Amino acid sequence: MNRTLVIGCALLAPIVALAAVSLAWTPYGPADTTGGRLTPPGAAHLLGTDRLGRDLLTLVMIGARTALTTGVLAVAISALIGVAGGLAAGFAGRLADDVLAAALDILIAFPALILALLVVAAVRPSLFATVLAIGLAMSAVLARLTRALVKGVLAQDYITASRASGTSWPRIVTGHVLPNIWPALSVNLALQLGLAVLAEASLAYLGLGAPQPDISWGRLLREAQATVFTSPISLIAPGLLLAMLVAGANLAAQGLRLAADPALRVTR
Amino acid sequence: MKQQGTALTGLCLTRLTVVFSALALIAGLASCAARTAEPRGEIPLNVGSLYEPQNLDNVGGGGQGATEALAGNVYEGLFKITDSGAVEKSLAESYLTAPDGLTYTFHLRPGVRFHSGDPLTAADVKYSLERILAASSKSSRKSSLGVIKTIAAPDDTTVVVTLSSKSISFVYNLGFVWIVNDKDTDPATQEDGTGPYRLAEWRRGATLTLTRSDRYWGAPAKSARVVFHYFTDAAAMNNALLTGAVDVVTSEQSPDALAQFNQDHSFTISEGRSTTKLLLAFNDRVPPFNDARIRRAVSSAIDDHKLLNAIWNGHGMVIGSMVPPTDPWYEDLTGVNPYDVALAKRLLTEAGKPSGFTFTLDTPTYDPHPTIAAFVVSELAKVGITAKINSISADEWYSKVFQKHDFTATLQEHVNDRDIRWYADPNFYWGYDNKKVSDWVIRSESAGSAEEQIELLRKVARQIAEDAASDWLYLNPQIVVSASKVTGYPVNGLNAQFFVYDIVKR
Repeated sequence: MNRTLVIGCALLAPIVALAAVSLAWTPYGPADTTGGRLTPPGAAHLLGTDRLGRDLLTLVMIGARTALTTGVLAVAISALIGVAGGLAAGFAGRLADDVLAAALDILIAFPALILALLVVAAVRPSLFATVLAIGLAMSAVLARLTRALVKGVLAQDYITASRASGTSWPRIVTGHVLPNIWPALSVNLALQLGLAVLAEASLAYLGLGAPQPDISWGRLLREAQATVFTSPISLIAPGLLLAMLVAGANLAAQGLRLAADPALRVTR
Repeated sequence: MKQQGTALTGLCLTRLTVVFSALALIAGLASCAARTAEPRGEIPLNVGSLYEPQNLDNVGGGGQGATEALAGNVYEGLFKITDSGAVEKSLAESYLTAPDGLTYTFHLRPGVRFHSGDPLTAADVKYSLERILAASSKSSRKSSLGVIKTIAAPDDTTVVVTLSSKSISFVYNLGFVWIVNDKDTDPATQEDGTGPYRLAEWRRGATLTLTRSDRYWGAPAKSARVVFHYFTDAAAMNNALLTGAVDVVTSEQSPDALAQFNQDHSFTISEGRSTTKLLLAFNDRVPPFNDARIRRAVSSAIDDHKLLNAIWNGHGMVIGSMVPPTDPWYEDLTGVNPYDVALAKRLLTEAGKPSGFTFTLDTPTYDPHPTIAAFVVSELAKVGITAKINSISADEWYSKVFQKHDFTATLQEHVNDRDIRWYADPNFYWGYDNKKVSDWVIRSESAGSAEEQIELLRKVARQIAEDAASDWLYLNPQIVVSASKVTGYPVNGLNAQFFVYDIVKR
């Protein structure tokens, strides 16, 4: 493990812990409004309460769960579509590859968030729609990366040798291509986790994320905007955790890259 | 010599440049000084608002923004609804009602001219009324003015209107009819009113500027120039007030933003009464809410005071029926369906649903509805009722709930005054159907005296409260914040009007 990876994981760990604990226990129920309006942090409410009197720590914990779930699921969708699409393009004939590459370039030219907004606007806002929208929006980048990596591997002599010795294409994909492109892909997936969480928060902040009673950091930030002068903690808590998660995912990605790429290790 | 000459010329040129630069600088400074030293009353009054007009025509869908900037300022009616809700004569100097209550004769104020210089005539009034009643009209007063049968202009200063049935609110409703010049072909983009201000410039998305009209028939406006600055974000508007870019904001939507102003003596916060009621509206046609006991159970299960405090932090008020205190038939009905969880459970048992039920709450996506929905869900859970939130956009609300009546319950703000009459219409979106109430509302319109009207509408208010026709969660406050050097603004802003002509900036 290199230092960057350790720092990244250290930033992610408390958030994963919060989310995991929230599955079994939260200080209060998410719908419990007995805390009083904007109660400052104290023994009864470690982070205070929101306008409705809900415990902020409870909301933030459940928000961590939402953030991680959306992030991981969106990355999974992106990986599934992106890698499959990239492989197809990598193996495709000249014409099909050109068409796919052009389509991907057009998709990438759209900012991911705008693409996600379009998807959410087309279907009813829900957690599923959010995940799908973000996953789809991010899959284009992954598809292009996979395509380039696949092309690189396929040009190698050992693939030609393998083909000559009669190995089938599916065996080549699982035996040679995927293991060789995986390190680079995993770095990209970790990066995408951070972006996906940020996109989820942005959609929720704009009121287009999962609707109530689902709790999201983005929605907490939106609600906290009105009370920023009277209760800054309600803005700071979800904001800080969001920053930690995104920074953690980025550092972890960079750490993975360092670990995966011997050339980089040498230069350091 | 030649060289010297050249040097001299060069020197002269340099000097000249310096002199000219200095002159230019002085001229510039002087013009700046002239600008800052405008005579008293010439400094523009800057108003901050979140409601930019859609267009300039209140009959053509101009919206709340058109009313806010133009009503009473640029356009006037035969009558004026003051900030306290009283009716005053404006362009009508006098009027007569025939004994049968069906014919009204209005005499126009003499010597009134439109901003274009055209004199006000009875034909303009006729034209303005016909505009409201036209098929294309989007006026919210169209249905209440539907009682108009004929409009005649026997001479230039007399208008005779006959009604199909008696309407005690007729004169009041005329207070919302802008009198426009019948020669104004495009009221959506240009104005020709009679008010104390004329429209100088509207920069869409930014500002709308009014300048004092020197043709005005009444007392001239106190500020020579008023600029409405439009914001899409309340935080940006509050910052503009803090930095002095605007002098007054027409309505604050978050009580927590007030913390920035109430510590500081250079700002004044005023709280008036709005007419904006927040409703949990049931679909009274369909189960389970076709049963009044269920509706009463829901009303008693929700702590309105706690909700009001959560959203408005001590501002605003709980009303208990569809009547704000500025309507003459207001009465405190908060005791009819008090917050009482035990009562709610008892009512549920009586209605055969002791363990509660599940329903879908159609919730508009914009503030404050999502927050309120979360509160309603948590309150109803205490009596075993599960509310499922379905987020819908404003457009969807209009088509699904308002037009198709395809809903079980919804949250919505109702902004107009005197809108209790919708409970008399079984075809309105909430579908409350009570013959007694419909009859009282119809009789109140044809009442012979205001006392009779008030008495009948009080009965309506009480009856709909007893039936819990809807759950009236609370009445918004109307909060205006201004720099303390600014005085004379309206505090209630009833029906979104914001008269600027009496505002003074010291």
